[in-house]
Amino acid sequence: MSREISTCPLRLRHYPGHLEPEYAYTLGIAGERFFREIKENARIMGAKCKKCGKIYVPPKLYCEECFEKLEEWVDVGTKGTVYTFTISFLDEHGEKLEKPEIYALIKFKGTYGGIVHRLGEVKPENVRIGMKVQAVFKPLTERKGTINDIAYFKPIME
Amino acid sequence: MEMFGKRRVAVIGAGMTLFRRNLKETGKELCWEAAKMALDQAGLELKDIEAVVMGTAPDAFDGVHMKGEYLADGAGARKKPYMRVFVGGGTGVFTPIAGWWHVASGMFDTCLVVAEEKMSSCFPHPAYAFHTIFDPIMARPLGVTLIWIFALEMHRYMHVHGIKKEQIARVAVKNKQNALDHPCAQLPQKITVEDVLNSEVLCWPVQRLDISPTSDGAAVAVLAAEHVAKQLTDNPVWIDGVGWCIDSTYWTNRDLYYPKYVECAARMAYKMAGIKNPPKEIDVAEVYDPFDYKELHHMEGLMLCRKGEAPRLTEEGVTQRDGDLPINPSGGLLGVGNPIAAAGMMKVCEIFWQLRGEAGKRQVKKDARTGLAQAWGDLMQYGSVIIMRS
Ligand SMILES: [Zn+2]
Repeated sequence: MSREISTCPLRLRHYPGHLEPEYAYTLGIAGERFFREIKENARIMGAKCKKCGKIYVPPKLYCEECFEKLEEWVDVGTKGTVYTFTISFLDEHGEKLEKPEIYALIKFKGTYGGIVHRLGEVKPENVRIGMKVQAVFKPLTERKGTINDIAYFKPIME
Repeated sequence: MEMFGKRRVAVIGAGMTLFRRNLKETGKELCWEAAKMALDQAGLELKDIEAVVMGTAPDAFDGVHMKGEYLADGAGARKKPYMRVFVGGGTGVFTPIAGWWHVASGMFDTCLVVAEEKMSSCFPHPAYAFHTIFDPIMARPLGVTLIWIFALEMHRYMHVHGIKKEQIARVAVKNKQNALDHPCAQLPQKITVEDVLNSEVLCWPVQRLDISPTSDGAAVAVLAAEHVAKQLTDNPVWIDGVGWCIDSTYWTNRDLYYPKYVECAARMAYKMAGIKNPPKEIDVAEVYDPFDYKELHHMEGLMLCRKGEAPRLTEEGVTQRDGDLPINPSGGLLGVGNPIAAAGMMKVCEIFWQLRGEAGKRQVKKDARTGLAQAWGDLMQYGSVIIMRS
């Protein structure tokens, strides 16, 4: 999934004409496994540092503090807490959105980091910092191994 | 100074262009205009300059890759040792820090420090040039914008300390008012707290008047070693402390309510300048204010007040030009404008003019001997701090 770049010059091709530059970003070693779990098993994983004990969500290949390789993977569940949120009225081009979108930083209990994502099934005026939320995954057949395999997070009672 | 074993470095001249949404001049021309002004004030010619340091933010704004190379002639760098530094929004204060070590190290006796930004080249709006600064896997697929990541931070800061938007809006009112006295200012305005609260909501809690504009502009300073500075001027302004720091690349891994990286950069600079009690020893400060809440956030990170205390000081008028701790007497980014690297450099120029008593109508009331300039950048995690003394 993440390593499709050819290293054999004989397989490179030349196209005459105009090509827009595009970038293909690899998910990375930790990222590939993280997104495979989301895509295939609807699971959110973290990676634990055996030295300092921090559980990184999303998982990383290494601990940014200890510089150790993170080898222990843990299922952190699909429920988290809204740490902060914003209600965006603009898209990335600065154009007005048809309806405002709620984005939140969601933290998972006992972990380090968090995931930024949309909130759904809730009106902007009802969102609160500290609110419990749960990931809503797209159906298996629509999941592609991207962050948008999670459609949004929705509020839950707890 | 002795403990660092470095030479003392002075600012001996400063200059800047108008800050505007869209200037006719090219980036090179802006650099030249500000550099010429700074050299004139220093009483030097280009041939007297031994090295040049350029600061300019993402190439995507100007739309010229290798912008440092592109701007070199306007910055006066032809046939001279030259480098470009870039730490996002922190560049404007980091550039004179890089200039400082050129001279403090003994490598050069004079150094021209040039900061430039021309954001108007990017159409239809420079906002999209920011798109490729975000993580391509975790953030971009969500339609991330620069404003919403600041909104997330601002909201957390408000939440932790129970700060109201009215309190934050006072910063925009103050800075835009201060800018009325700045001859280069882009957005000098007399506005009220209500105007801020009634302005367009972009990404709640961020509204139109909470934000600085996009701008074109350049700002420049001339640095000299002590023995050179003393020959050229009776009023050198010494760079007595510098500090810089970056926090985690992942903003999800930071507190958001408190800029620890600014504290780390400030501690480094205070230690070097021998400052033990920042609120008592700093007479005037230019803190980075691309958003109104950031002025408060940064005052706290700089330890100019306790955590959560900056809104109250602002309400009490302590941060006005005639207050005990004047903050952003220039008008800041909110009032003067925000050509990224040039905006941070403008703050260093302002402290230079304030400490020389040359700030005219912007001059703070107290006798200012020690000043601070700070910028903040990359993805909300870079702090750069400079301490200057007359
Ligand atoms: Zn660790």
